[in-house]
Amino acid sequence: MHKKMAFSFPDEVLEHVFSFIQSDKDRNAVSMVCKSWYEIERWCRRKVFVGNCYAVSPRMVIRRFPEFRSIELKGKPHFADFNLVPDGWGGYVFPWIAEMAGAYPWLEEIRLKRMVVTDESLELIAKSFKNFKVLVLSSCEGFSTDGLAAIAASCKNLKELDLRDCEVDDLSAHWLSHFPETYTSLVSLNISCLGSDEASFSALERLVRRCTNLKTLRLNRAVPLDKIANILRHAPQLVEFGTGTYTADVRPDVYSDLAGVLSSCKELKSLSGFWDVIPDYLPAIYPVCSKLTSLNLSYATIQSPDLIKLVSHCPNLQRLLVLDYIEDSGLEVLASSCKDLQELRVFPSDPFGAEPNVSLTEQGLVAVSLGCPKLQSVLYFCRRMSNEALVTIARSRPNFTRFRLCIIEPKTADYLTLEPLDVGFGAIVQYCKDLRRLSLSGLLTDRVFEYIGTYAKKLEMLSVAFAGDSDLGLHHVLSGCESLRKLEIRDCPFGDKALLANAAKLETMRSLWMSSCAVSFAACKLLGQKMPRLNVEVIDERGPPDSRPENCPVDKLYIYRSIAGPRFDMPPFVWTMDEDSGLRLS
Amino acid sequence: MGRPTSSSSSIDSPNHFAFSSTASSQRDLTTDLRLGLSISIAPPFVREQWPPMKAAVAEEEHECNSSTFYVKVYMEGIPIGRKLDLLAHESYYDLIRTLEHMFHTNIIWAEAEMDRDHYEKYHVLTYEDKEGDWMMVGDVPWEMFLSAVRRLKISKC
Repeated sequence: MHKKMAFSFPDEVLEHVFSFIQSDKDRNAVSMVCKSWYEIERWCRRKVFVGNCYAVSPRMVIRRFPEFRSIELKGKPHFADFNLVPDGWGGYVFPWIAEMAGAYPWLEEIRLKRMVVTDESLELIAKSFKNFKVLVLSSCEGFSTDGLAAIAASCKNLKELDLRDCEVDDLSAHWLSHFPETYTSLVSLNISCLGSDEASFSALERLVRRCTNLKTLRLNRAVPLDKIANILRHAPQLVEFGTGTYTADVRPDVYSDLAGVLSSCKELKSLSGFWDVIPDYLPAIYPVCSKLTSLNLSYATIQSPDLIKLVSHCPNLQRLLVLDYIEDSGLEVLASSCKDLQELRVFPSDPFGAEPNVSLTEQGLVAVSLGCPKLQSVLYFCRRMSNEALVTIARSRPNFTRFRLCIIEPKTADYLTLEPLDVGFGAIVQYCKDLRRLSLSGLLTDRVFEYIGTYAKKLEMLSVAFAGDSDLGLHHVLSGCESLRKLEIRDCPFGDKALLANAAKLETMRSLWMSSCAVSFAACKLLGQKMPRLNVEVIDERGPPDSRPENCPVDKLYIYRSIAGPRFDMPPFVWTMDEDSGLRLS
Repeated sequence: MGRPTSSSSSIDSPNHFAFSSTASSQRDLTTDLRLGLSISIAPPFVREQWPPMKAAVAEEEHECNSSTFYVKVYMEGIPIGRKLDLLAHESYYDLIRTLEHMFHTNIIWAEAEMDRDHYEKYHVLTYEDKEGDWMMVGDVPWEMFLSAVRRLKISKC
């Protein structure tokens, strides 16, 4: 009877049902139900997500999913953003492109994060995929404008080219002219990362003029303010716009031009850019402020009064990125004006200064937490914090999903009581039951990790620096956090015991990063030998780890689960602790 | 330096980890802090990699306050370059020492002495200045060099 039921749905019906299931997690779950569902699902999966490019090989992906159209790959560990991963570590996309070029001529979308992309890779993409539509490179490096020229010249159906936060070798601005005059399909262009030396304004203007479907345009710093009006004039349909440099000699004609053209952009919802902004030109954007949902002022070095004026014009703001020039007073205004605020990031204007240069404290964060009922994601840099403030924040805003606090001076205690901030962060994990991402800072003992292990059951990513007293701290996290996928730790006294006692946990996670901790080379070798499905990699620029005593702590350790075995592209300062390769060292 | 790692006799037994949660709570951590005991992590944090911000936001507008200045260094014959923080060095000698270690070679610069019979063991250090010209390292005062240098190159003799 049961068997009859199972075969009563033809494959096409199941396939149709599966087509409504888009999320990777759900698709993975579907594929585990039974063999026939696995088979059907793998043939109809159109989007593949690989969170760690070394967890699986390109050939394995291609073998399992013969018909995907879109791939997303991530390479380097997150701490690479802060210069903790030496150059040459890896994350090369070329092997993936090379394999896909042969197998998938119909590939449409490639999204990469923290990977090394060479001009050769870009040229291969341009040549191999005739219907290529979307290229998103996030925090990538290794390519030049020559590679971009190849994409521009060959990808006739390109809709999206997004180079957010990339490091690009700016050889020539003329790559933009490689888009043929017949090319009109651009919908989204983000070149904000390109260098400040040149920009090809006329090519840019012509491109914008003929691409009437353009919705997102993020310019780079080199585009001067007086050129923006000319560009925007041809794109009143823009939804997202990033200015170039927002400064010029104050001239009434430039101002009125800009204000006029901005007010005709009725669909504008997101603004960014604002390099070198001078307050005189800010009012030009007031007409569009009431519709803005996203505002990125992280390059805008303007002071609190101007920021306050600006923010008061934006009642529908959902996302704000800003420098700490906004100060507590500005955040209080934000809390009362922007009731729809969901995400706030406050960056330090003078991170290396010994003394605070602005009046931004824990009070600003408290004000926003109390005043903005929809606030769920915060990244906040400040110089002082108290347990009292953190408890208030946690109690008033239990809907936080992402909470990243960086108290600039490591190991800073509660400024009111001089105690560690364990209780404060404990309140965060206790009250915010849906917390998925947490970054800790300040003076913290093992106790905070006990709280995290006990309460943070939905936590997926945890970042820790200069915290804890002993292996017990790490043990609490690894044994308690059921949903943990990514753990990154630097400068903490965590050693072998907790790591080895929780070795099995590491196979349930994407990755673990530990640098400047107390994990010995011996423990790394043991872990590598005992756990064949983990890649245990030691990064040490001092030389081979076996040139030092076995109980000497390694400099950096990166452990990730993988079904592809140890990688072959390691630079000289990375050693794998895989059992077979281990023999090479001795 | 944190706790010394224990001997490996029972590391691989999962039951070895017999910590009880009361053990550490009995210690008076605040006393330890005041006495400066055991909580500290020995190496002072590395200024260049803290606070955790992406380079673009961190370096904007404040290069004079920034305590790092990373330049690319390429060695002839090796396509993958390295990066070096010049501000972490105090003089040419300091820089040369780091480069010799990083690239495992002997470096020729303005003040180096060379064994002319074994030139193949040496590499010449040059830098690209703001005008795009390649100059030998070491002719101008160190501070002037810092303000002019854009990248470094190590070439065969």
